Amino acid sequence: MQWFDALVQGILLGGMYAQYALGMALMFGVMRIVNISHGDLVILLSLIGISMATAWGLGPLAVLAILVPLGLFMGWLLQKAVLNKVVGSDPLPSLIATFGLSIALQNLMLQIWSANSRSLPGGGIESRSVDIGGIYIGLLPVIVLVVAVALTWGLDLMLKKTRFGRALRAAAADVEAAAMTGINPRAVYALATAVAVGILGFAAVFQSLRSTVAPADGAAQLIYAFEAVIIGGMGSVWGAFIGSMVLGISQGIGFRIDPGFGVLAGHLVFLIVLATRPQGLFGKA
Amino acid sequence: MTAISDAATAIPAPAVTVRRQTNSGRIAMTLAIVALVAVAVMPWWASTGTIRMILELCCYIAVAQMWNLLAGYAGLVSVGQQAFMGAAGYALFVLAQTFGINPFLAVLLSLIVPAVLAVPLYFLLHRLDGPYFSIGTWVVAEVFRLVASNLPLVNSGAGMSLRVMSQYSAFERNVAMSLLCAFMLLVTLGGSYWLLRSRFGLALIAMRDNPVAAASQGVDVSRLRFLVYVAAAVGCGLAGAVYFMAQLRINPPSAFDPMWANVAIFIVMIGGIGSIEGVLIGSLIFFIADRWFGEYGATYFVVLGLMTLLVALYARTGIWGLLSRRFDAPWFPFRRFLVDPNR
Amino acid sequence: MTAVLSTHGLVARYGDFQALYGVDVELHAGEAVALIGANGAGKSTFLRAVMGLLPVGRDMVRLDGEPVGGTSADRMVKRGVAIVPEGRRLFTGMSVEDNLKVAVDQAARLGAKGGWSIERLHRLFPILKEKAKTPVQSLSGGQQQMVAIGRALLCQPRVLLCDEISLGLAPKVIREIYAALPEIRGAGTAMILVEQDVGLAKEATDRLYCMLEGRVTLSGRSAEVTREAIGEAYFGAGHAVV
Repeated sequence: MQWFDALVQGILLGGMYAQYALGMALMFGVMRIVNISHGDLVILLSLIGISMATAWGLGPLAVLAILVPLGLFMGWLLQKAVLNKVVGSDPLPSLIATFGLSIALQNLMLQIWSANSRSLPGGGIESRSVDIGGIYIGLLPVIVLVVAVALTWGLDLMLKKTRFGRALRAAAADVEAAAMTGINPRAVYALATAVAVGILGFAAVFQSLRSTVAPADGAAQLIYAFEAVIIGGMGSVWGAFIGSMVLGISQGIGFRIDPGFGVLAGHLVFLIVLATRPQGLFGKA
Repeated sequence: MTAISDAATAIPAPAVTVRRQTNSGRIAMTLAIVALVAVAVMPWWASTGTIRMILELCCYIAVAQMWNLLAGYAGLVSVGQQAFMGAAGYALFVLAQTFGINPFLAVLLSLIVPAVLAVPLYFLLHRLDGPYFSIGTWVVAEVFRLVASNLPLVNSGAGMSLRVMSQYSAFERNVAMSLLCAFMLLVTLGGSYWLLRSRFGLALIAMRDNPVAAASQGVDVSRLRFLVYVAAAVGCGLAGAVYFMAQLRINPPSAFDPMWANVAIFIVMIGGIGSIEGVLIGSLIFFIADRWFGEYGATYFVVLGLMTLLVALYARTGIWGLLSRRFDAPWFPFRRFLVDPNR
Repeated sequence: MTAVLSTHGLVARYGDFQALYGVDVELHAGEAVALIGANGAGKSTFLRAVMGLLPVGRDMVRLDGEPVGGTSADRMVKRGVAIVPEGRRLFTGMSVEDNLKVAVDQAARLGAKGGWSIERLHRLFPILKEKAKTPVQSLSGGQQQMVAIGRALLCQPRVLLCDEISLGLAPKVIREIYAALPEIRGAGTAMILVEQDVGLAKEATDRLYCMLEGRVTLSGRSAEVTREAIGEAYFGAGHAVV
């Protein structure tokens, strides 16, 4: 029963990681850019959300309604101001640029919000449980998982069926040919990054509800998102979701073995996947 | 056919010599030797506090140059070199403190650890695409930190102290630190320069400019990358061992501090990637900025981060890159010039 | 009558290497013009320069007399120029239908109007309907070429640039593809055909230009130009070595 409980907790944790991983999978799949400040952006959104909630007495839904559009805008701005200048075959400039941005953001947040941990007041939702088949599970983690599934499904649908999704996939396959077909790569990239960071708006709310956030937390979130994407297989939205599940479950079981072992268990599973199946569980060899 | 062989004998091959050194190079070499000696004899002209400060600067220079070698020549952008620094640091403490080996010998022996670790790590990571390789190196550093936090051999999270050093006088310790510092500079900077001037250097520069073209000319790019990775691991290990020996204390968060990666990247990008001159310039700038503005804490790092971002966007070749476009006066020349003695 | 597309002293470089040395070409409405020449003559470079994939001087390329040199490729599509690129450059991982839909999407977005639709393409190249859901990388070379042409046509172009559409294809397939060209011309699209096969080029076009080392060495009506003239212009036998 203990192990089943660990499994369930792991899946719920995976739902949280999936919300980080989706945006990263999208950006890398389309532009082959990894945004090192990805984790810091979540923390920034979280802190902004918490400050607003405290200042204006907003509930989580209201904060969500503000953070998602804010995330969309931030992503769009990031692409236009920074990333469009470093898209290309050489990975070094985008890496260094987003790395510098990450350092700047972390310390800016430190300056503005200090190193204290904060969380979003949720009006009790953090402590509610729901009875599923005889097991009591926290309501919030279930919501997180459901939202993660919905986001993944929505993103996948968007890529497959909408005009924007097709343009994104075309630009990912061959950006010059995409331009020859009338696609403006820069505009498409800006929208892609906007979507990627918009999704982080959800992650920001949920992360600050379920636990505390502090300016230095971004690095850990980046690593989890990255591990999830690698485990699942690059270039696949559902792959990123499954990878998040695997990571969450690994950590859940690790926590159950020993509280100090949880995160390390995740890292080890990641390294094992890397050693044995580097293209990821769903990636093409 | 006769027309061709006639032509071949008609023009005599000119007697040329190959010149490697330049005037700027000679000046720089002289200054470098002077500086190296000055570092080695620090106990005779500097206070303990100054020695510590210069030692720290030399560690930054060493780590930055290793990062430069990795990113600038092998195209491997690592943000996890601190893994090797901490590994060698811990190895030093375990060898010297736990097993009672002479600390200075232990420094050299500790280098075996990063060297041995680098091999499987490279094979694990090198299949990862550019930016994913980078984060992979970070994960590795994190794994090291977590393992160290739970490993009784290194006293887990509580860390270790290098108490055996108390058997030496302060002066003796200073002499040892200064010599190790000079040795570290010699190995990392001097070693890099020697490497660039050797036949490996040609391969490295070719690899830097265009790996595909280099491979087509017979350069074994993957093997060279691997060798550079291991060399950089050992270089960082040496910096780590030296640094923590001076600190006299080590614990998981300080051993595997990502700060080293941040500083190395800043130094190399601002100074100029792919050149030793750039590392020196960048280190100097960082050192001055750190002394003057370090007290401003977080804001100072915001500026450092923004500067790194701006350099990556608008001035990828850094300060040395901009300078060398105007003036051809390298401090560490390795190009070959053909000189016709008859002119 | 103003040419639909014209180039004036077109010069283009790849870094330090100069590929085009002042090329003057004209294309009139309803015409099909061939561009022939040996490998490396600069034919593909020419098309890429016109399409905005290479930086060129603004006045060097004119559309209906208006200078458009250096305009980005996606804006050239908006202006009514489409290209079937060398090597086809299809969007791998996507189905035939999706590849075509991308063009339809963009044409709709850019407000380009014209007679081309996916159904009409299915009539022109029936195999595309059969293979609609197939990923493009599984198709044969000829089928891929049809997708590439279809994708360009769905941009509703006034000017269609075709870069070596017969390359690597079996003669039967080439005939099939070239058989579709009259219908494309009939729809009012002017074409520039870059071709290595001189016979095919002569048959399918009204006029032709021959290029050598970045320059035009011959221009004339396809039906009237002699084999000898082409041979000299193609290989440069009559030209002094610079």
